[in-house]
Amino acid sequence: MRVTIERAQFLKSLNHVQSVVERRNTIPILSNVLLKAAAGEIQLTATDLDIEIVEGVPADISVEGATTIPAHLMHDIVRKLPDGSQLEIEQGPDEGRLAISAGRSRFSLQALPPDDFPNLSAGELSHKFIMSAGDLKTMIEKTRFAISTEETRYYLNGIYLHHIEIDGKPMLRAVATDGHRLAQVEVPCPDGAQGIPGIIVPRKTVLELTKLIEDQDGSIEIALSDSKIRFTFNDMVLTSKLIDGSFPDYERVIPTNNDKIMEVDRRLFAQAVDRVSTVSAEKGRAIKLNINPDKVILTVNNPDSGNAEEEVAASCDSEPLDVGFNAQYLLDIASQLDGDTAQFHMFDSGSPTIVRDPANSSVLYVLMPMRV
Amino acid sequence: MTIRRLPEGTINRIAAGEVIERPASVVKELVENAIDAGARQIDISLVDGGRTLIRVRDNGKGMDATDLELAIERHATSKLPDDDLVNIQNLGFRGEALPSIGSVSRLRIVSRARGSNEANEIRIEGGRQQAVKPAAHGEGTDIEVRDLFFAVPARLKFLKTERAETAEAAAIVRRLAMAAPQIGFTLMSGERQLINLQANEVGDEGQRQRLSDIMGRDFIENSVQIDAGRDVFSLQGYASLPTLNRSQSTMQFLFVNGRAVKDRTLLGAVRGAYSDFLMRQRFPMVALFITCPPEFVDVNVHPAKAEVRFRNQAQVNSLIVGSIREAIGFAGHRTASTNAEATISAFQHQSGGHHRSHFAPTRPTTAEHGFREAAQSFAGFQAMSGDTSASEIPLNDDDADKPLGAARAQFHENYILAQTRNGIVIVDQHAAHERLVLEQLKASAQKTDISTQPLLVPEVVNLDAPSVERFADAAEQLASAGLVLEQFGPDAIIVREVPAVLAGAKIADLIKDLADDLETIGQGQSLNERFEHVLATMACHGSVRSGRRLKPQEMNALLRDMEATPFSGQCNHGRPTYVELSLADIERLFARR
Repeated sequence: MRVTIERAQFLKSLNHVQSVVERRNTIPILSNVLLKAAAGEIQLTATDLDIEIVEGVPADISVEGATTIPAHLMHDIVRKLPDGSQLEIEQGPDEGRLAISAGRSRFSLQALPPDDFPNLSAGELSHKFIMSAGDLKTMIEKTRFAISTEETRYYLNGIYLHHIEIDGKPMLRAVATDGHRLAQVEVPCPDGAQGIPGIIVPRKTVLELTKLIEDQDGSIEIALSDSKIRFTFNDMVLTSKLIDGSFPDYERVIPTNNDKIMEVDRRLFAQAVDRVSTVSAEKGRAIKLNINPDKVILTVNNPDSGNAEEEVAASCDSEPLDVGFNAQYLLDIASQLDGDTAQFHMFDSGSPTIVRDPANSSVLYVLMPMRV
Repeated sequence: MTIRRLPEGTINRIAAGEVIERPASVVKELVENAIDAGARQIDISLVDGGRTLIRVRDNGKGMDATDLELAIERHATSKLPDDDLVNIQNLGFRGEALPSIGSVSRLRIVSRARGSNEANEIRIEGGRQQAVKPAAHGEGTDIEVRDLFFAVPARLKFLKTERAETAEAAAIVRRLAMAAPQIGFTLMSGERQLINLQANEVGDEGQRQRLSDIMGRDFIENSVQIDAGRDVFSLQGYASLPTLNRSQSTMQFLFVNGRAVKDRTLLGAVRGAYSDFLMRQRFPMVALFITCPPEFVDVNVHPAKAEVRFRNQAQVNSLIVGSIREAIGFAGHRTASTNAEATISAFQHQSGGHHRSHFAPTRPTTAEHGFREAAQSFAGFQAMSGDTSASEIPLNDDDADKPLGAARAQFHENYILAQTRNGIVIVDQHAAHERLVLEQLKASAQKTDISTQPLLVPEVVNLDAPSVERFADAAEQLASAGLVLEQFGPDAIIVREVPAVLAGAKIADLIKDLADDLETIGQGQSLNERFEHVLATMACHGSVRSGRRLKPQEMNALLRDMEATPFSGQCNHGRPTYVELSLADIERLFARR
């Protein structure tokens, strides 16, 4: 193998793929990135056996071939090379070594045989559809914060994607919950996604995908089966296993009879929550909401450091109500909404509360109050 | 095969299987008999770890010829005068020991009743009894057990080495001796004397002496005395300071009405009492004596009587936990003097090593390093003395009178050197401050109500059926701590609300730990441990780090806080927060003594 490649492009792709590579591995080849040089392009592949990212970079190929080298090491080397360098990558007769040279720098890295590199992309994916990058971003951004990190309920460690019909219109819905709060968002269902099984996309995949599609605005090709999902865009392919479990029947926890509705300016509310929660040093401290027809009073009471109280103008159609929430959860949700108004649907101080954005009916949050 | 009644001999051997497991159990039964007989001196000798001979002589009240013959009958005992199994005053009562021993060995008993002029002897070999005949013997009883298990070769095969069996027998004698300080004990193994305990005065002093003989002087010097009572239960004894701990639980002795027990529930309570002072896998040393009217405890639940049941187990547990904690708290900042010993030996050990590294020409780097270190610590001293000469803190004699003395210097930005009236104290500032912050957090946590986070998606945890039952019983207690759960079918529980501070924790793990606690100690210790773990983590982050230079005022304030705070002698992990060297110790370092 013999390749000449431009540093900036190579670094960008390396950056993408190396983030799935774990720092410590029991299987040595999982620390490596697979380089395949063929047809005017060098293809980089990295995997942790759950996720695989493949990305192609145009390169000047003199001799085709393939090898694997330590991903983090390669990334660090390329990162430290001066701007505008041209890298020459060459594998000589000794298959165990890969020579890299740029300017006056020379490196010789340990390589492992490419045939041993695991292949995650094999297998047929039953469903294929095309989705706009914007819709995919919306689904991830609105729900990501509610994904559980607790490993015993592994089936909550991801975003649940499935197809539903709302008023006869097919929609694709994403749901995430950590057992204390729930986030749900819908986007119009792309053609070909009607028949998909309900799938749970793991947290790590969601994080990687967010990074990769950050500056994408075209369309993204999605293919999936009940055990795998693949996202294809530009020169990148991300393949991931799905969480093998069944997502709980989340619709049961979304209350339908919450008749007390409070509306409040979202920004003022979020700022007030942030301000009063300053005095709650410890995590899990509650913010108490005293809801009145024309205002809501937020209080935090911390016997160690002091109290905080703030009034925010609000409109509520029912008699006064006291309800407590975890300060962090309130902040999370307030920062997720993007309209001007936040709408709270409540039943009483011990039942789940729904938070919505009146300007965007496709997004819904459920939050469990605290008992204080 | 038709059903038939077993002959007496077989019955005795079956009973022996329960009671007589190894030579040590013979020793236990015989010594208990001797104690019950009111002996003042008990001499035990073993040959071949008890396999060839076990002999127990006492100077108790003895038996006459009729008693002697009855004694080796099954279910014959002098210890249940009115057949009342509730009101048990003696160590024994089942009337099983002698016939069981007699059925598996060659047993010879010689005894003279107190006040009588004649002694008698009886022999029984593998269950075959011989007639009583006159013999010569002083007041008391002498029992010889030869060729143990000759009649049950199977059991013989399961005996351990001579050394192991001897050690086990010695452990039993020590345990029994702890509860009977007024009796002298000797134990010979072949020609070697393993135990020689003098009879002591009845009372506190005698008890102290006996415990110190058995558990070591370290234990008595580094433990707190416990004397507490609640209702009909009372608890006496000694519990080690948390800084004196072991990697095994073998030095935990519990006695109920003078009977040595190894009861999991009670040991669990001891663990609970020390839970936030010791790391996991470290064990305190304790000798605790529980006394209560006999009708409040059932000792008849285990053939070897190692376990007991209390009529009110929860009360006994809370008595143990409460009184140990209170006693340790009262001892406040005391740390074990064993630390000072360790420090001195470390000094002595290292001084030799330093000489070598300084003068070794082949290793200049080490020597250089040593010098640099020395230079750094001198810099610290200078900075400090600069401060004092500027009289920011004139050396305050009031402080020097306090237990932890007046701060004189800080070195390596982590250790405070303080001078007391008769020695010096070295304090680990991070460890000490961590404990102070934790105690503050705990105090404020107790003042506030527990807020709970109900779960949007309740969590189902699968368990075995008995655990589920226990959770159902403890539901109310757990709910008051913020954990709301319900039974969910026969072998699962559903968790509806968790304490807000634990909201992100793994609920299933917590529940499984709690299940273990409920089984062993009857209350949800783990929940408290989790709370305290959260607080401890906060304390660790909120405390003065090592590497921070403290001003003299700050150091003195820290010392004063330590004196005022309970448990400040050890950090949250059971490490000592300071060591104290007396002048005598320092003089020893310089060979002045």
